[in-house]
Amino acid sequence: MEDRMTQLLRGTLHALILSTLAGGPLHGYAIASRIEQRVDGAFRLEDGALYQALHRMQARQWLRSEWGHAENGKRARFYRLTSKGWRQLDLETASWIRYVDAVSKILRPARA
Amino acid sequence: MRDDEPRPAEPRRSTRQINDDVDEELRFHLELRAAELEAAGLDPAAAREEAARRFGDVMETQRACVASDRERERTLRRREYVAELVQDLAHGLRQLRARPLFALATIVTLALGIGATTAIFGAADHVLFRPLPYRAIDRVVTLWELDRSGNAGKRPVSPGNFVDWADRTTSFAAIGLAEPSGSDLTGDGPPEPVASWRVTRGFFAALGVAPLLGRAFLPEEFEARAAPAVLISYGLWQRRFAANPAIVGRAIDVDGAKATVVGVLPRDLEYPGRKDLWAPKRFRPDELSDRRSSYMYAVARLRPGVSLVQARADLARVAGQLAQEFPRTNALLGVQALPLEEQVLGRVRPAFLILLGAVILLLLIGCANVAGLQLARGAARETELALRSALGAPRERLVRQLLTESLLLAGLGGLAGIALAWFGTQALVAMGPPRLPRLDSIAIDARVLGFALAATLASALMFGLFPALRFSRPELLPALGSGGRSTAGRTRTRLRNGLVVAEIALALVLLTGAGLLMRSFFELTANDVGFESRGRVSLQLFLWDRNPQPAQRLQRVDELSARFLTVPGVEAVGLVSALPFHPSQIDAHNALTIEGRPTLDTEAEAQVYTTVASPEYFRIMGVPLLQGRPFAASDRMDAPRVALVNRALARRFFPGEDPVGKRVSVGVMSAPETREIVGVVGDVRPTTLDSDPRPELFIPYAQSATGSVTFVVRTRGDPAAQVPVLRTKLWEIDPEQSIYHAATVQSLISNTLVERRFNLVLLAVFSLIALVLAGIGIFSLISFTTGQRTHEIGVRMALGARPRDIAGMILRDGLKLIGPGVALGIGGALLLTRVLAQMLYNVRPTDPATFAEVGVLMALVAMVGAMIPAARAALTDPMRALRQE
Repeated sequence: MEDRMTQLLRGTLHALILSTLAGGPLHGYAIASRIEQRVDGAFRLEDGALYQALHRMQARQWLRSEWGHAENGKRARFYRLTSKGWRQLDLETASWIRYVDAVSKILRPARA
Repeated sequence: MRDDEPRPAEPRRSTRQINDDVDEELRFHLELRAAELEAAGLDPAAAREEAARRFGDVMETQRACVASDRERERTLRRREYVAELVQDLAHGLRQLRARPLFALATIVTLALGIGATTAIFGAADHVLFRPLPYRAIDRVVTLWELDRSGNAGKRPVSPGNFVDWADRTTSFAAIGLAEPSGSDLTGDGPPEPVASWRVTRGFFAALGVAPLLGRAFLPEEFEARAAPAVLISYGLWQRRFAANPAIVGRAIDVDGAKATVVGVLPRDLEYPGRKDLWAPKRFRPDELSDRRSSYMYAVARLRPGVSLVQARADLARVAGQLAQEFPRTNALLGVQALPLEEQVLGRVRPAFLILLGAVILLLLIGCANVAGLQLARGAARETELALRSALGAPRERLVRQLLTESLLLAGLGGLAGIALAWFGTQALVAMGPPRLPRLDSIAIDARVLGFALAATLASALMFGLFPALRFSRPELLPALGSGGRSTAGRTRTRLRNGLVVAEIALALVLLTGAGLLMRSFFELTANDVGFESRGRVSLQLFLWDRNPQPAQRLQRVDELSARFLTVPGVEAVGLVSALPFHPSQIDAHNALTIEGRPTLDTEAEAQVYTTVASPEYFRIMGVPLLQGRPFAASDRMDAPRVALVNRALARRFFPGEDPVGKRVSVGVMSAPETREIVGVVGDVRPTTLDSDPRPELFIPYAQSATGSVTFVVRTRGDPAAQVPVLRTKLWEIDPEQSIYHAATVQSLISNTLVERRFNLVLLAVFSLIALVLAGIGIFSLISFTTGQRTHEIGVRMALGARPRDIAGMILRDGLKLIGPGVALGIGGALLLTRVLAQMLYNVRPTDPATFAEVGVLMALVAMVGAMIPAARAALTDPMRALRQE
C-alpha cells in the first residue's frame, strides 16, 4: 500500500513541491517536512529524490534558489517559485483535478 | 505573492562552485535531519544513520543535482549572451544614430571596398576559376602557323598544311579544324544572321566536347551529298527555340535550305570563338592543297602519354619536311602548339588577377580608413568605456561590445557592398570585352555571396579588433580623472598616423597602375591607323558557294556595288579581301619574286601579304597614293597585270629604288603571274593599334576575283544605321547570300581596344576611390588631432600666434604623413607595377613621368585633406578655445 502511494507520489512530486512553495520561499529540509506533514505519514519519500526534483525544476526554470540563513542560523539554500513556476502549478493542479475526476467517475460510477 | 519584482541577475557559477553548493545544501539537510532525530531521542550515531537511510543514495543525488544545475547554468549563460548581444547591437545602433556622418562614412567606405572586391571576385570566379566544358582540357592544344619572316607571328592554318600535319604527326589522338562562316536563320521567328563554324570530323573529339542534347556529326554527314545537319549553341537553343528539347531531330531553315538539328552544344563553348551554329565542313576540291590562305582554326588532343614537348617536336619535324617539299610557301613556316586553356584564358588571367589585387588593395585602404575613424571616435568614447570598466564590466565584455559594433558596421557595409556588387556586375557584363570567356554567365551566386560574407567578416576584424583591444586596456582608467578630456596615448597616435601613411601609400600604388595604363592607352590611341574610319561601314561576305566561278563573282560584286550606291547617303562603295582591324580578316600571303633578281634563297623571306582590292577601296579608306598611279577600272582580266605595293613593302624590297615600273611575280589563288608595280600606297596598321605595318601587295579585284570579300561603304550620317539597309539591298539581289560580318569600321578599331579600356576604366575607378579614401583618411585624422589641440591652439593664439602660424603648424603635421606616405607608395609601385608590363604600350612600368604625376596628384589631394582642418583651426576664436574644457 505504501509502495503504491509512493509510486503515485513520484508522478505528482513536482505538483507537491510547487504547491508547497506557493506559501513562500523554503529550504529543502522545510519542503520535505511540510510535505510529510501534509500527507500525514500516508507515504514516505526519500529525501534524495526531493533534492533531485528541486534541481531538475530549477533547470526547467520553475524555481530559483539563493543562499539564505535557516532558523538555526546556518546557511541554507532557499527555493522560490518563478513566474514560470506559478504557471506550472496552475497547470499541474488543473490536470490533477481533471485526472481525479475522470478516474473517480470510472471507479464509482453508481454514485456519480 | 507573485515573484515578478525586478531582481539582480544571478551571478554565474563555475562547475566547482556548483559542486560546493550542492554539497553544502545536502550536508545541511542531513545535519538538520540528524539533529531532529536526536531531539526525538536517538543517540547521535543512530540518528546520523537514520538520516542517511531516509535520504537514499547521496552520491546519486549529488550527481543528478550537479547535472541539473550545470544545465541551468548553460541555459542562463546562453540567454545572457543573447541579451548582451541585443544590448550591444542596440547600443551600437544608438552610437550610429548619434554620429550619422561617421556611420555613413564607414558604411560607404566599406560598401565600396566590399562591393568592388565582390564584383571582381565574382567575375574572376566565373571567368577563371570554374572548369571549362572541355574533357581533360590539359590534353588539348590549339595549332597555329608561325610565320618566321617579317613580324607577322602566329596565324590560323591553311587547309593544305593542316592536312599534312594531321597525316604525318603521331602525337595526336584527334585533330580537327573549324572554319569561320555565317548563316541566316529563317522560320521560327524573324530572320536572324548568325555566326557559325564549319568543322571537320575530328573537331569535337579533339576539343573533348560532347553535345548537351542529341549527338555530334556522323562520319557520313561530312560527305558532299549528305543531307545538311547542324549543331546549335546553347544560347541559340535558349533564345530562338525556347530551350525546347524537341529541337533535336527537327529541320530548321538555314540559308534557305532545310538542315536537321542533330544536337545542342553545352554553354560556355569558347573556342575558337563563341558562335551559334556548327555545320560539317565539306572541302572544295582545290581547297585541300591550298597553303596560302590561313583561315582555319586547328585543335588537337594529345595521345595518352605524349607530352606537349614531344608533340611540339613532332610538329616541328613535319614543318621541316614541308619546308623542304614546298619551299615557296613553307620555307619559313613553323607550327605553334598552345595549350587550349592558355588560349582561352591566357590573356584575361593576368588582367583579372591584377584587378583582383587592385580591389584587395582598395579594401585594405577602406579598412585602414575605417580603423582610423574608429580610433578617432574611440578616443572620444574612452570616458564611456572607462566608466563601464570601473563599474565592473570585464575586459572581454568590452572587447565584445566593440567587436559587435564593428560587426554591425561591417554588416551594414557588406549589405550595401553586395547591392553595389550587383550593380557593378551588371556594369561589368555590359562593358566587358565580348571575347571575355563566359562573360554572360557572370552573376552573384552563393559562392560570390560567401566571398562577400568572408570579406565582410575579415574587414570587421581588420578595422575592429585592433581598436577593440586598444580601448579595453585597463590602463584607460585614468581617462575618468581627466574630466572627459582624454589623454591620447603616444602608441595610438603612432598607430593612427601609420594607418594614414599606409592608406596614402596603397592608394598611390593603385594610382600608379591606373596612370601607366592610361598613358599606354593614350600612346596607343594616338597612333595613326593609316586610314579613315569615320562614316565607313564594312560588310563581309563569302561568295564562294553561291558564285563558284570568278566571272560570276566579278559580276555579282559589280551588281552589289551598284545596288549599294542607290542607298541614300551612300557616297562610295569599294571592296577588299582583307580589311585592317577586321576580326575575321582573311590573310593571304605569298612569296614575291622580283624580276631580275635571284629567287631561290630569298624566296622564303619574300613572303608578303597579298590583298585584293577594288580601285575605289583606297579612296574610300583614305589610304594615300604616294607614288605612281592608283588602280583604274580598266585594270581588268584583259588588261596587263598590275599591282600596288605599300610603303613597308617598298622599303623592304626596293630600298633606295623606285618600285614603280618594277615587275614582280606573285601567285594569288593561282599560279604566280608577273605583274607590274604601278604605284605605292601608304601603310596601315593591320590588326591592332600596336601592330606594325607589314609588307603588303595589292591586286585589282577584277584580275583576281576572290570569294572572300569585304565591302567598304562610305556614307553620310550614322553608318551603323546603314547596316540593315545594305543587308536588304544585298538580299534583293541574292536572298540566299548570307552576311558573315557587318560593322562600322570605327567599331572595328574600338573593338580592339575593349579589353584595354575595360582594364583601364576599372583600375581608374578603383584608384580614384582609393585616392578619395586616402584624402578622407588624412582629413579625418588631422581634424581629430586638431580638435584635441583646441585648447593648445587657444593658448598659442592668446600668446600672439597668427592664424597663418596655426594653419602652418597643422599643415606641417599633415606633411609629416604625406611625405612618408608618398615615398612608401612610390617604393611599393616600383616593386609592383612590373606585373602590368604585358598590358603597357610604349610606357615602361617605372615611367618617371607617370610616377611624378601620380605622386603629385596624391600629395595634392592629401594636402587638400589636411588643409581643411588647418584652415578651420586658424579661424579658432582663442577665447572660446581657452574656455573649452
